[in-house]
Amino acid sequence: MTRRGGSRLGWNAVGLVLFAVMVFPVFWMISTAFKPTDEINRVTPAWLPEHPTAGHFRDALDRPYFWTDVKNSLIVVCVTVAIAMALAFLAAVALAKYRFSGRRLFVVLVIGIQMLPSAGLIIPLYVVLARYHQVNTLTGVILVYLTTALPFSVWTLRGFIVGIPKDLEEAAMVDGSTRLGAFLRILLPLVAPGLVATSVFAFITSWNEYIFARILLSDSEKQTITVWLSYFLGTSRSTDWGALMAASTLIAIPVVIFFLLVQRKIAFGLTSGAVRG
Amino acid sequence: MLGAILGYPVYNLVRLSLQRYGLFELLQHRGVPVGLDNYRSILGDSVFWHTLARTVVFTIANVGLTMVLGTLIALLLVRVSTWVRLLLTGGLVLVWAMPPVVAVQVWNWMTNSQNGVLNYALTELHLGDFFQHNWYETPFSQLAMTTTLIVWGALPFVVISVYAALSQVPHELVEAAEIDGAPGWRIFLDVTAPIIAPVLLILTSLSILWDFGVFTQPFLLIGQGHIVPANYLMGIYLFEEGYVKTDFGRGAAISILMLAIVAALSVVYVRRMLRGAAEAEA
Repeated sequence: MTRRGGSRLGWNAVGLVLFAVMVFPVFWMISTAFKPTDEINRVTPAWLPEHPTAGHFRDALDRPYFWTDVKNSLIVVCVTVAIAMALAFLAAVALAKYRFSGRRLFVVLVIGIQMLPSAGLIIPLYVVLARYHQVNTLTGVILVYLTTALPFSVWTLRGFIVGIPKDLEEAAMVDGSTRLGAFLRILLPLVAPGLVATSVFAFITSWNEYIFARILLSDSEKQTITVWLSYFLGTSRSTDWGALMAASTLIAIPVVIFFLLVQRKIAFGLTSGAVRG
Repeated sequence: MLGAILGYPVYNLVRLSLQRYGLFELLQHRGVPVGLDNYRSILGDSVFWHTLARTVVFTIANVGLTMVLGTLIALLLVRVSTWVRLLLTGGLVLVWAMPPVVAVQVWNWMTNSQNGVLNYALTELHLGDFFQHNWYETPFSQLAMTTTLIVWGALPFVVISVYAALSQVPHELVEAAEIDGAPGWRIFLDVTAPIIAPVLLILTSLSILWDFGVFTQPFLLIGQGHIVPANYLMGIYLFEEGYVKTDFGRGAAISILMLAIVAALSVVYVRRMLRGAAEAEA
């Protein structure tokens, strides 16, 4: 018993060290954001800010294009999520409940697109968007994000819908409900948690996306916030690390909050096929 | 209709790869069919082969580190007290939630040669003199730093998934083996590993998919000004050849070659997903 207790103590110690190492970058980002510049540039760093200041946050917010680009990101993300959810929900219902010709091809397409490294789609999407003069417009970026958000959402939502027993819907229809009525009153409320989880996940991936936004949007006033952040370092030798870390913190906060809300629901979706065998 | 939205880019990709499509053709909105010329020029390009070899090694290192460390941490989670487990899981989820571009900037700050905290910490721990050490001196060190960033970001998903799989391993089996006096590593290999093998396979395939085509982290961490053929990865090679040099036909051909390689590398995942699709069909 004491031997076991002793080894548990050892494992706990390892676990705590590991926790410290993994979380350190996040901690360091926040800690730096609150330090006055002279503390940041000191050769021997202090772990916690000795004279905490919110100045860097003000600097970050006052930087050119911060608010414009946050607004761009929000527009792109919200429109993408709204359209993706509406279309993906219908497609997922069709996929889970009804048979139609070409269904197999559709499933293969959905999975295939999910597999493509996004780098592989840049070129054709860029060319197509250029043809319709949608390069350097938010509409173009939204269309691109839809091509990645849709397959993912269809696939995840399908998983949520398949779990609902068909009898429920049929019972409602036997009781005199129309197909639409059964859909709205039975199916929709049951899938709601899945819809929320999927849309939050689509929100996060679109908010974090970098490469497409970087390639498609060249004007500073049209860029998304990740592109804004990536240009922060610029070329000057003396980087304003405090403001950079403050901006990073601000950009990470919405993602972290949303992520904590849905992590459990989505985390196992990707591997659930394996667990179920 | 949905099928058209999804299928169109892929159709376009194949068609582009068979055309000469540069800036002029982009303005004309029409490519010049050139057959397999793009493929021939890529396969004859030594940069392509060097980049491919580098990317394969990079992918093996990243996926290997992610999977081994991830499994070890998941096994650790089983052994620690509940409060340590909750703390560690919470920390992992926090790391998981960090946007990649933010993570890159934090890495830039922690490893900058002027006053990076990594230099300070390693020097203080007497692991050597890292005062003003430049972590981005050689292509190898640049890619090594990229690896630390990617593995750090990828660990949470792997740890949490493997831990979930571990919790499905029946307690009695492990206890029976313990009573029989089997050493810990034998229990893992003979009892635990076969049960979590499917999850490990899927995770490995997914990691290969992600790491082989990775772009954001190496591109931003190494910095566009320092990107040269000697530190290209496939994702960056594609970006430079197709987009920067505005040779879209060639870029499309590179994409298709990448897709073929990735598909071959992650056959397991593809087969599982297709089987899942077949079940959905039934």
